[in-house]
Amino acid sequence: MVETGHFALVLAFALSLVQTIVPLFGARLNNQRLMAVGGPVAVTGFALTALSFVALASAYANSDFSVASVWENSHSLQPMIYKITGTWGNHEGSMLLWVLILTFFGALVAAFGSNLPATLRANVLAVQGAIGAAFFLFILATSNPFIRLNPAPIEGRDLNPVLQDLGLAIHPPLLYLGYVGFSICFSFSVAALIEGRIDASWARWVRPWTLVAWMFLTGGIAMGSYWAYYELGWGGFWFWDPVENASFMPWLAGTALLHSAIVMEKRSALKIWTLLLAILTFSLSLLGTFLVRSGVLTSVHAFATDPARGVFILCILTLFIGGSLALFALRASRLTAGGLFHPISREGALVLNNLFLTTATATVLVGTLYPLALEALTGDKISVGAPFFDLTFGPLMLPLLVLVPFGPLLAWKRGDIIAASQRLMAAFATALAAMLVTGLFIDGASVFAALGIGLAVWLVAGALTDLAVKSGVGSVAPAVMVRRFAGLPRSVFGTALAHLGLGLTLLGIVATLSFGTEKILTMRAGETVELSGHTLRFVGLYPAQGPNYSEDRGRFELIGVSGSPVGEISSAKRFYPVRQTTTTESGIKTLGLSQLYLSLGDEAKDGSVVVRLWWKPLVTLIWGGGLVMMAGAAMSLMDRRLRVGAPSRRRKQASAETPAVLP
Amino acid sequence: MLFWVIAAILTLGASLAVLLPLAAGAKGTSSSGDHDLEVYRDQLSELDRDAGRGLIQPVEAAEARAEIARRILRLDNADTAGKASARPASVTARLVATVAVLAVPLVSWGVYSQIGSPDLPAQPLSQRLTKNPADSSVDELVARAEAHLAANPSDGRGWDVLAPVYLRMQRFSDAVAAYRNAIRLAGDSAVRQAGLGEAIAGAAGGIVSADAQDAFEAALKLDPANAKASFYLAVALAQEGRNKEAITAWQAMLGTLPPDSPWRSAVEQALAKSASPEVASGAAAKGPDAADVDAASSMSPQDREAMINTMVAGLDEKLRQNPRDTEGWMRLVRSYVVLGKTDQAREALGRAIAVFGAGSDEAKKFTAFAASLGLTATE
Repeated sequence: MVETGHFALVLAFALSLVQTIVPLFGARLNNQRLMAVGGPVAVTGFALTALSFVALASAYANSDFSVASVWENSHSLQPMIYKITGTWGNHEGSMLLWVLILTFFGALVAAFGSNLPATLRANVLAVQGAIGAAFFLFILATSNPFIRLNPAPIEGRDLNPVLQDLGLAIHPPLLYLGYVGFSICFSFSVAALIEGRIDASWARWVRPWTLVAWMFLTGGIAMGSYWAYYELGWGGFWFWDPVENASFMPWLAGTALLHSAIVMEKRSALKIWTLLLAILTFSLSLLGTFLVRSGVLTSVHAFATDPARGVFILCILTLFIGGSLALFALRASRLTAGGLFHPISREGALVLNNLFLTTATATVLVGTLYPLALEALTGDKISVGAPFFDLTFGPLMLPLLVLVPFGPLLAWKRGDIIAASQRLMAAFATALAAMLVTGLFIDGASVFAALGIGLAVWLVAGALTDLAVKSGVGSVAPAVMVRRFAGLPRSVFGTALAHLGLGLTLLGIVATLSFGTEKILTMRAGETVELSGHTLRFVGLYPAQGPNYSEDRGRFELIGVSGSPVGEISSAKRFYPVRQTTTTESGIKTLGLSQLYLSLGDEAKDGSVVVRLWWKPLVTLIWGGGLVMMAGAAMSLMDRRLRVGAPSRRRKQASAETPAVLP
Repeated sequence: MLFWVIAAILTLGASLAVLLPLAAGAKGTSSSGDHDLEVYRDQLSELDRDAGRGLIQPVEAAEARAEIARRILRLDNADTAGKASARPASVTARLVATVAVLAVPLVSWGVYSQIGSPDLPAQPLSQRLTKNPADSSVDELVARAEAHLAANPSDGRGWDVLAPVYLRMQRFSDAVAAYRNAIRLAGDSAVRQAGLGEAIAGAAGGIVSADAQDAFEAALKLDPANAKASFYLAVALAQEGRNKEAITAWQAMLGTLPPDSPWRSAVEQALAKSASPEVASGAAAKGPDAADVDAASSMSPQDREAMINTMVAGLDEKLRQNPRDTEGWMRLVRSYVVLGKTDQAREALGRAIAVFGAGSDEAKKFTAFAASLGLTATE
């Protein structure tokens, strides 16, 4: 089974080469047969990669220590779920997951792309095949997960204990679906550049892929943030860590792409810019892969000690980013510009959005790469942390967030800013009220708190206003209003939900940062502590034995108003003997939207324990907002507009769908 | 064999994915112009809907309609020009097709033959643990015994069998646990207590600590003739710097050991070493069993020194990563003294004291220990 997986991987590599070359020639020679090869090869390549992945996963599940990667990252005593998730909890396996998702997206284009123009489809598959070929070669040459050991060791070295968590099951697959999803947008862009023309249906094809990738990336980042929050044991949710930035940059650029693609799709404008953004977004995904996978981040010097992997990814990076940008420089002038618009219009608002988002991306890029470059050149290690990003990223986001509610209310081509402002009066009043309440009653000292809460409420109220205005609240009869509301295009709901989610996330961040409290103290069994109106009693420290770890679990009781316990929180210090590592399992109690967060420190000789305690008001909104944004993207995906653009399917749809409900 | 069949089938499937579309007749596909026209039509109808909902003003809607109409016109022109481009299959196309079909088997079998291990079967752990014991390696047998004991932790005999195996595999901390379980479940015995002592000493890297001495003394209480216990207690004396007492103890052993005892040569080695000042207590401190002592003594002096140096360097490295190991530090300091590297010994002592803090109990212990070796913390 293991060697079957290995062989399937090699075969998938061979197919990716065919997928690169044959359709490309086909499109060039306008040969139908050659172009037709792309589809079946992409689907077969995916099937073989999937077979390979299943073989590796089953080696992990069965603790087959004759596979080097299993021996290095697994242990027979691990619970089954961590044995399986351990498949991608290491470099080799995660790269296999990467190409699995890449070929999956390629197969989707092949399977559902029958309504694409033949040459565009062939070129897209060829570019997708080229990315695949590069990464297959990378895996086979430097990171082969199927390297065998003979004789096989009897026991593995265990998975890194920090990764022995359900988060590993969700976070990397979501993140990779996002990262790699943007490869489709990239392939479409490069295909358009190769052809030298952009079909009108191009934007309609690219937008759903952008939405899908963006949705998963949003989920992946939110999940990663929550995982770091509860696993690292000190209650932070975002660290401006280079690994996080590596996923945040494609997200920012992808958000810009999402918005510029709307303009392109609706109004055939911003074509060239959208193309460039699609290339940049995937380039940032590749850069993220390079930063995380080459070892550059742990230290520039680690990169020097294992140069093969880093240099290989760097070559891939140069080839694809440099190649696509060169192609862009060569061909962009041949592409025709699209529709015209006035500065104050929906299009104008989206351009402004793009400006802010790309500048913010550049800021994060500088903050991430500058320390690395400096270390490589001078050997000085500096850390560009939160202060840098607070000073640069924050001010850039502020005007953008203020402007968000205006965008959806402006008309296409020429908008009326005054009319839009009038419609937003109610939202503005709500936000102002929220600011006043915050400033007067909750925390008068913090301007940041008042402004932040006001801004968050402004975003939420603005999103709701958009829906209200479009369904005609206040101007038509209630019955008509309900009918209009139900008849709104799904994309309108998508927009509103995404902007609403953004507001919720902001609300969570501001509330946690401004009103959160923390306490560090030593406690003995039986003692109580009070934090922000919650009383906790330390019951005691109990040793326990897990499948592959031993732990000291500290139990705490939440005391209610009446003095009797109303809930329990427990935090543990775990020791994993195989890796000789200690981890902290934080204790979290969710009360409404807020959380009580507790983490156990060292035990003193006299039996008292260091306890760190945080009260995090509204903290769940940070990730809840992310989920709402994902729901917005899913809603947008269901919009009928995205299904148009194919001659053959058009007729069926016209009869199946009721015309848009309009009074 | 089965693997080659599967590989052949997979290759065949992959080749067919390339071959079939090439062999199939060209299907009529719609030109890109048709697609574009459909999109433009939809844009027009969407424009009407947006105008109805007030998302675009009437004047701008008319402008936009004109823009789209212009695009449709341009499309018609381009389409009539581009339609005639379909050509019959050229020589290049045939060449590309042939290369592609051949590439799949050639690349895959070529690459796999370089990096694959086709003869190595999959070895799931559960299968390895249930096969015929005669075919199993020692590791596998141990793993089976472990699995058995995990299921029946009160099987004293099982622990008793496993403990000496751990000791021989140098899995000292496992051996300690196994001996303790055996003593608890299967009863006290001199052999088990002596084994426990040896395991504790092994886990501490050869230092016969107080715990180990307790075990050896318990063994001697049960069986005064236990050679292992007597030997190690003498080693403990030597390690404490009481060389003369150690020599006396070993000489007493030589008097009572039966002539065919395997311990006789170990004792002789130890005596020889304690007599030569160069190696002093260092070699004995490794806590080797008889076989190890034999192996070490049959080495050339250079080899032995190289081996000792490697071991000391390894210990040093381990302490850098895992510094809270009192006995490790003492062992390291002594090793450097024995090797004549006084500076490094002093440096190690300084590091050890720094780890635990200058005023701590451990630091005092280190200083006293170093003084017994003739070493002072600062000079």
